Amino acid sequence: MALDGDLSGKVAIVTGGSRGIGRAIVELFAAEGADVTFWYQGNAEAAEEVVAAAAAAGQSVRSMQVDVRDSGACRTAAEAVADRAGRIDVLVNNAGVIRDNVLVGLEDEDIRTVLDVNVAGVFNATRAVAPFMISKRAGRIVNLSSVSGAKGGRGQTNYAASKGAIDALTRALAVELAPRKISVNAVAPGVIETEMSETVRELAGDEIKGRILLRRFGQPRDIAHAVWFLSSSLADYVTGQVLYVDGGFKME
Amino acid sequence: MAAEITKTDVDAIYGTVAKTIADALGCELDEVKRDASLIDDLGAESIDFLDLVFRLERAFKVKIPRGKIVEDARGDLPEAEFEQKGVVTEAGIARLRTFLAEVPADRIAAPLKTADIPRLFTAETFAKLVIRAQREQGAA
Repeated sequence: MALDGDLSGKVAIVTGGSRGIGRAIVELFAAEGADVTFWYQGNAEAAEEVVAAAAAAGQSVRSMQVDVRDSGACRTAAEAVADRAGRIDVLVNNAGVIRDNVLVGLEDEDIRTVLDVNVAGVFNATRAVAPFMISKRAGRIVNLSSVSGAKGGRGQTNYAASKGAIDALTRALAVELAPRKISVNAVAPGVIETEMSETVRELAGDEIKGRILLRRFGQPRDIAHAVWFLSSSLADYVTGQVLYVDGGFKME
Repeated sequence: MAAEITKTDVDAIYGTVAKTIADALGCELDEVKRDASLIDDLGAESIDFLDLVFRLERAFKVKIPRGKIVEDARGDLPEAEFEQKGVVTEAGIARLRTFLAEVPADRIAAPLKTADIPRLFTAETFAKLVIRAQREQGAA
């Protein structure tokens, strides 16, 4: 029996989709036949590149400039997608930022920005999209957590707190939306080779690799595969879970 | 004082409201009787009301603040005079009888918990909610 992970005709929104892991998710979803709209905060050039590459491949990818910290902008953008496509099947809350520093060195802004984007942003995008899923009594929400949520390291208190919040939100929202046949899960990446993790890989790459059972950093596509699984019918019976895709990451 | 909502006003939009209710609750259109309690007769849950209001907003292109029905019913009556310790006062019940005139009066009787007010809501209650939202939007 063949596995059916096809996303043909599924309408998906991916936040933070112009670069890194988000981009890999957008590309994989589009290749699997989904109608993808990704939101990006500011890098119009990168966004345009993703859209153009998809168009060249005959795929359906659109971009919208949306700051997930702005709940009104999230609502307007979600309505626009629903008005055009008739529904929203999948929401991937991927947009996230880091402002690493040891706790005593954190500025107010470092704390606020990380919590605003990584936590409030997920609330905003989800509040904007979930009503459409509730109406259809179907939907998939996948939140990007991080191995930091459970195993935070030095200089990541703000980021770790934000991702721990996402794990908690994922479980609570799964309870709330299960009666409406909407599943809510999270994927917790380990150290993935993206711009965002560049500094930490440069500063402590070998030490970190020594704590990864598979002895390598992950690729954005490794995460996209997990997100795709949770968004497809293969994961029909999975909800409220945090799936670690971290190569087997150990605490020191 | 806001203009009264007449039966003609309600009739004009009732068909769409009833269909929206049937869609939101997953029931047949003919089950949606004008005076049926959405909770007690049609099995609606609180999340269904959120869905219903969301659908009405989209169907009628209006914004409806959550909790609007109870807020409007209370009107200028101070909260402490409307309810005490989660139970609606006599004055509150009088307000509800006037405001929810579409609900058979015998259903609005003491003791009535504030949390049970949504059990009174009928299809017509939501039709009136839409009309008030349309008027407020038009006036804004």
